[in-house]
Amino acid sequence: MQIHEDKYKDLNLKIGLEIHVQLKTNQKIFCECSSDYINSPPNNNICPICTSQPGSKPMGINETALENLLKIGLFLGCKAYEKPFYVQRKHYFYPDLPSNYQRTSQPILGNGVFMGVGIWEIHIEEDPGRYELREGKVDFNRSGVPLAEIVTAPDIKSPEYAREFLRDLLLSLEYLGVIRGESGSIRADVNISIMGGNRIEIKNVNSVKGIYKALKYEIVRQKAVLQRGGTITMETRHFDEASMITKTLRKKETVADYRYIPDPDLVPVYISPEMLNEIESVLPESPHAKKKRFMEEYSLGEEIVDSLISDLYLSDLFEESAKNSNPLEAGKWCATELKRRLNEKNLSVSTSKINPKHISDMVGFIERGELSVKNAKWIIEDAVDSGEEIPVLMDKKNFYQISSEDTLVEIIEKVIADNPKAVLDFKSGNQNALHFLFGKVVNETEGRAEPSKTIKLLKDKLCAVA
Amino acid sequence: MFTRDLIEDLLSKSVEEHLHKKIEEIEKRNKEINAFITLGTEEAEKSSKEIQKKINNGTQGKLSGLVVSIKDNIAVYNTRMTCGSKVLENYIAPYDATVTNLIKKEDGIIIGKCNMDEFACGSDGTSSYFGPTKNPRNIDYVPGGSSSGSAASVAADFSDLSIGSDTGGSIRCPASFCGVYGFKPSYGLVSRYGLSDMAMSLEGPGPFAKDTYGIALLLDVISGKDPRDTVTVQSNNSYLKTVENFKDGDIKNMKIAYAKEFFEGVDENIKNMILDKIGMLESQGARIEEVSLPNIKYSIPIYYLVVFSEFSSAMSKFDGFKYGHYAGGQDIVEAVSNTRETSMGTEVKRRVLLGTFITMEEFKGRWYTKALKARSAIKEDFKRIFNSYDLLIGPTMPTLPWKIGERISDPLAMYSSDILTVSANLAGICASSQPVGEVKGLPVGLQLHADSLSESKLLKGMRAVEIACGGM
Repeated sequence: MQIHEDKYKDLNLKIGLEIHVQLKTNQKIFCECSSDYINSPPNNNICPICTSQPGSKPMGINETALENLLKIGLFLGCKAYEKPFYVQRKHYFYPDLPSNYQRTSQPILGNGVFMGVGIWEIHIEEDPGRYELREGKVDFNRSGVPLAEIVTAPDIKSPEYAREFLRDLLLSLEYLGVIRGESGSIRADVNISIMGGNRIEIKNVNSVKGIYKALKYEIVRQKAVLQRGGTITMETRHFDEASMITKTLRKKETVADYRYIPDPDLVPVYISPEMLNEIESVLPESPHAKKKRFMEEYSLGEEIVDSLISDLYLSDLFEESAKNSNPLEAGKWCATELKRRLNEKNLSVSTSKINPKHISDMVGFIERGELSVKNAKWIIEDAVDSGEEIPVLMDKKNFYQISSEDTLVEIIEKVIADNPKAVLDFKSGNQNALHFLFGKVVNETEGRAEPSKTIKLLKDKLCAVA
Repeated sequence: MFTRDLIEDLLSKSVEEHLHKKIEEIEKRNKEINAFITLGTEEAEKSSKEIQKKINNGTQGKLSGLVVSIKDNIAVYNTRMTCGSKVLENYIAPYDATVTNLIKKEDGIIIGKCNMDEFACGSDGTSSYFGPTKNPRNIDYVPGGSSSGSAASVAADFSDLSIGSDTGGSIRCPASFCGVYGFKPSYGLVSRYGLSDMAMSLEGPGPFAKDTYGIALLLDVISGKDPRDTVTVQSNNSYLKTVENFKDGDIKNMKIAYAKEFFEGVDENIKNMILDKIGMLESQGARIEEVSLPNIKYSIPIYYLVVFSEFSSAMSKFDGFKYGHYAGGQDIVEAVSNTRETSMGTEVKRRVLLGTFITMEEFKGRWYTKALKARSAIKEDFKRIFNSYDLLIGPTMPTLPWKIGERISDPLAMYSSDILTVSANLAGICASSQPVGEVKGLPVGLQLHADSLSESKLLKGMRAVEIACGGM
């Protein structure tokens, strides 16, 4: 199932991720400040709580943030722990952290699976502010934006799969409507080990691309160290975005002691079965359930279904279009050509202009013999790019296929009359002549002649001439 | 009842005049007593005028112009909040604590911010960066701490009421030493929002007054659920009624326990005075029985382990980057360390260092985790008592106030003076101290405990003792 896995098989490559995503809320996690830290001037959305003024106390965990986190967990097949969870204080000194401790909860859910990768646990924490080292300035607008941390098992076997896993995960979370959409809203700590070496942690990588590059670099580096007879000892490394390489941050002997204590300012939070049921009832179908249903309900092949459900917006688009067209055809086009075009353009279903009617109309034209498969590929690109309706594009591009036998016969007779030499060649057994004449018909019709009918009629006519 | 009569006076006479009397008193004696770090007379005068107008219209709040002082670790908007430390020497609070807000709403006049032991780390009021507070009853003696200025300001008549905070006795100790009423509410009854942290799982703000009536009045104003403090609970806000409705005969239904552990090592004079009062209550019909709290002997070590751990965490925000004293340095770590080195007092540093040590991964199981377990054992002790009794009675402090400077060099002696007060905080229950007499011209405080959120029982007990001691 994992692509490129074979490439790393001999290395016994193991990759585990600690993924941070910002949860979508209007307010911060422990206060009533707006969580919009991007469109506001520095230190605009702040209050005594998120700047940790003496005497301020956190309010209870933002309910929407917690709901969104539970949605993520349940969607990834996790179970919520029955015991109430504590918020803990993780102590370290850094100017972006107003209390010099970060509030981070105990695991809230765990034991899930997504795309074959185990999900160990999910918990909630607060984002620190943003520290501009060079200017020595801190912007606390981001301080207190709620984060979910998703910790995976070391089940990922290649950097390529890590990238695919993260892309699909992000797309799913976006689909759930639980995370902030801004770029850079994903950060991860990456754990990697290869045979003969210890686990290395790469801290705070800021993008899917960065994670992929960091992993690629780290594999090459670790292999080289081992080949030279060196050893890979446990350490924490930092990924340099500019040079795309990783550097030692600290060796594990000097492991940071965060002196975790339960935050005395916050009461433990109990998640009731009723709350979980309520959330589960509004949760979209899980990818797993959707796969099963698509294969049964639409008789689609596994490969097509996998492709459709890897992007839940795409699977929605497919289902909508299948209401008004042949699901087998609609599924095939969505899973292949549409997806290809979206990837090419770096678009998603939600950001492009494609809609379900495009697909159902297009499938209709193809099935009625009015649109060739070749031209359909063009039309899908135009639909993605311009969003114009299929009939309009058909007219504009002059894509209506000629499949009326009378019209085709008329053209074929003209071509035969115009090309006596080719007709003679055909009669003397030269198959290329048939292709030549077919080409002429296609040219006459500006590519619109329905191919299989044309070949058949052409053959019939040539035989008749004989 | 003194405070009730005072309110009646205010309603018929002049709030501004009353305030001026307080200001005069402050001008006369505060230089000596040093009860305030910051005075807000101008602001107070302004609000006295406003409140006078309300009284004239009959729309005044519950406090109707009583003068209130506030411990300097509780935020008052746009006013300096130092916590008695150089760290926050120039810090102006950008917001009101919940208790401040409620006092303003009910027309209390805030006169100033009270002196205190630095970051509430002390039991005698002498560790403030702004100099020691002195006991108004005898200025050679300590006023008790850490809410030293709050108790002193009420005892010296600088204010009618005061707000302090109690983490391990910081309200009851100075109330006892200065001869005023002090009340530590159950954990969660009064919002901690705006109270600078010492040990967050133990503390909360609470009232000082000259009588039970004043305590109940202020408790009605400041108690109740607050969305800005998740540990808070609903309050019935009818404590004043409880006190007003108290009748002499009510004492007959009271079951009061006293524990021998609360008399061990207590000054003989104090012991005898408290036993004498217990006898008086018994003769008036209260049922008095002796009980035992076997785990009380662990309370001082448990208390200080919890305090050091939580305090070291709370103090980490004071790095000088955002506010407060800043010393600078080559890098972040050096800047933080220079800032703390040059601005924190000895006791504060001692507690930060010990707390950091105790909460290190390596030692946590040995100290912090064990302390939390032992804490539940103490809670159980009290639970057992309050299943059968309304109140637990005893002295507030094991000794009389000592002379200023006497104990400053011996932290262990200082810690041990908290022995009778800390267990109420460990158990989260409510407790009070009230004056019941004098020994060698120095006040003696009687302490009552009641179960968590049994404030009404505690106030009834206080009122019974007040009457037994000849109070009006």
